[in-house]
Amino acid sequence: MKKISVDPITRLEGHGKIEIFVNDAGEVANVYFQIPELRGFERFCVGRPVEELARITTRICGVCPEAHHMAAGKAIDAVFGVEPTPAGARLRELLYNAFFVTDHTTHFYILAGPDFIMGPQSDPATRNILGIVHKVGLETAGALINLRAEAAELISIIGGKQIHPVCNLPGGVSQAVTKEQQERMIQITTGFVEFAKFSLQLFNDIVLGNNDYVDLIKSDAFTHQTYSMGMVDENNKVNFYDGKIRVTGPDGAELVKFDGKDYLAELAEHVEPYSYLVYPYLKRVGWKGFVDGKDSGVYRASPLSRLNAADGMATPQAQEEYERYFSTLGGKPVHATLATHWARLVEVLYAAERAHELASHPDLTDPNVRVIPTGIVGEGIGVVEAPRGTLYHHYKTDEKGMVTNVNLIVGTTNNNAAISMSLKKAAEGLIKGGTEISEGTLNMIEMAFRAYDPCFGCATHTLPGDMPLQVVTRSEATGEVIASVKRNM
Amino acid sequence: MSSTLVLGMGNPILSDDGVGLYVAERLQAGPMPDGVEIQTSEVAGLRLLELLKGYDKVVIVDALRSGREPGEIVRYDAAEFKGGHRYGSAHSIGLHTALELGRRLGMPMPDDVTVFAVEAEDVETFGEEFSCPVAAAAEKVIDLVRAEVGAG
Repeated sequence: MKKISVDPITRLEGHGKIEIFVNDAGEVANVYFQIPELRGFERFCVGRPVEELARITTRICGVCPEAHHMAAGKAIDAVFGVEPTPAGARLRELLYNAFFVTDHTTHFYILAGPDFIMGPQSDPATRNILGIVHKVGLETAGALINLRAEAAELISIIGGKQIHPVCNLPGGVSQAVTKEQQERMIQITTGFVEFAKFSLQLFNDIVLGNNDYVDLIKSDAFTHQTYSMGMVDENNKVNFYDGKIRVTGPDGAELVKFDGKDYLAELAEHVEPYSYLVYPYLKRVGWKGFVDGKDSGVYRASPLSRLNAADGMATPQAQEEYERYFSTLGGKPVHATLATHWARLVEVLYAAERAHELASHPDLTDPNVRVIPTGIVGEGIGVVEAPRGTLYHHYKTDEKGMVTNVNLIVGTTNNNAAISMSLKKAAEGLIKGGTEISEGTLNMIEMAFRAYDPCFGCATHTLPGDMPLQVVTRSEATGEVIASVKRNM
Repeated sequence: MSSTLVLGMGNPILSDDGVGLYVAERLQAGPMPDGVEIQTSEVAGLRLLELLKGYDKVVIVDALRSGREPGEIVRYDAAEFKGGHRYGSAHSIGLHTALELGRRLGMPMPDDVTVFAVEAEDVETFGEEFSCPVAAAAEKVIDLVRAEVGAG
């Protein structure tokens, strides 16, 4: 048996790794996807005042600090037994939707863009952000940079800081916004909606206008019949900040709708000896291995699954896109992994419209942004939809509010089993005995996991340069390197 | 007048990964020549582009895992950051790509970029302490950055 490693070696050693085992006939025998876990998080938190977790957990991940800040804020509310005031909750949700706009659009242009705007088998020298800039024009790239700057401005108006907001306190947020700040946020969110519509149009022209891409998206190699998880409001519409967790089956029927605080009754964790990261699954269905179908408790928590698990979008333009998405892809549910990129853009439009709606709210400047807690419950669970999946924070404290126990399920972890399955199926579909494994082939296998926008552990950044990739084929008998494909090394 | 940015990068609660932030904080506490600013950043990616624009000279301090001896200090110039513009995650755009993208967009990007990287022993355990070799290296990097920006 030969082993192929797709190993993104960043400065954090063993950061994320794909290993493909190929048998003597040159066919895929198995694929392993590994993310090492950072150590000692719970020990780091224990003994600290629970309010600090809203600021500490933002440091777990350099990609979605805002998501951790929101889940932490909600868990801390519960620890102190307080509900945020309407004004406090509104400001949190506004900040959070602005974050979704910037995070999702960055993903689309930087990560999905190279594959879909440039082409999955295109020259790697131009299959990158610079190639995209050349193809879509400087104006679009400039608009993306501008959108990011404006989203950062909005986040710092409410959050007190860009990137690592500090506004969430038990019972609400730390300060109200002024009329001038509201005007500015209305202006910024108007721009969000325009850019979201522009991005969907671009997707429509470049991806949906190309039959090869549509065939690729719909192809069996990139399809899995799994359960879908997502947060919904009281009308079963997608919501990122608050609501119940709904799970629908491979056939689209509702399996369960539960309160986030009941997650331990609904989710269990499977472990594998080769991976530090657990594989959560649906308890009421059970673990049947890395397999598709209604008897397998494997679920996905991603833009793809959120659209499947909901009955629609709560804003008008996103709802139109939602309908067009399902009618184009053959009806609900959609299980095509690569359709996640389109679903993500539908979510961008929703987040943009929702942010605009909230920014324009007549009571946005209401100074009553916080309830001061008077007691303590000592345990709290906070759940939000993070861009990469449902995010659960669960804290326990002593009677003084000092942390005694922390448990988190982060976005990417939900998808651990599904990502592994997607990689294996893509590899099986693309690697055939006797054919040379090209860089383009490996890139297409990577596309199966890029669709989930997986967050590798919690690196804050990568130095010295771009993430290198090395793919080595070894002889099992001698360990000798037979072939090697390298990037950025 | 020319402007210089000293940028400390890293994660403050991931052991040695916080060394760049620590160095920046220490430098901030001491005197600096006119035109030298000190900042910290816990994220990279496109954020780098936004942070670096407008400066003539940038000095970055960060932790590194490259298989060297922990505590070893490596100096890079931006010109050495070759390689492609590929990434495995949406948010891991490198320095080279960020500088190039900024230039193509007509933003004023620094021509003179120097990186002092400290080989880390542990960037996988949550903690606020450095390993011994990295703690010692931090003091040396402070002097190196001071010399680099003309602060003696």
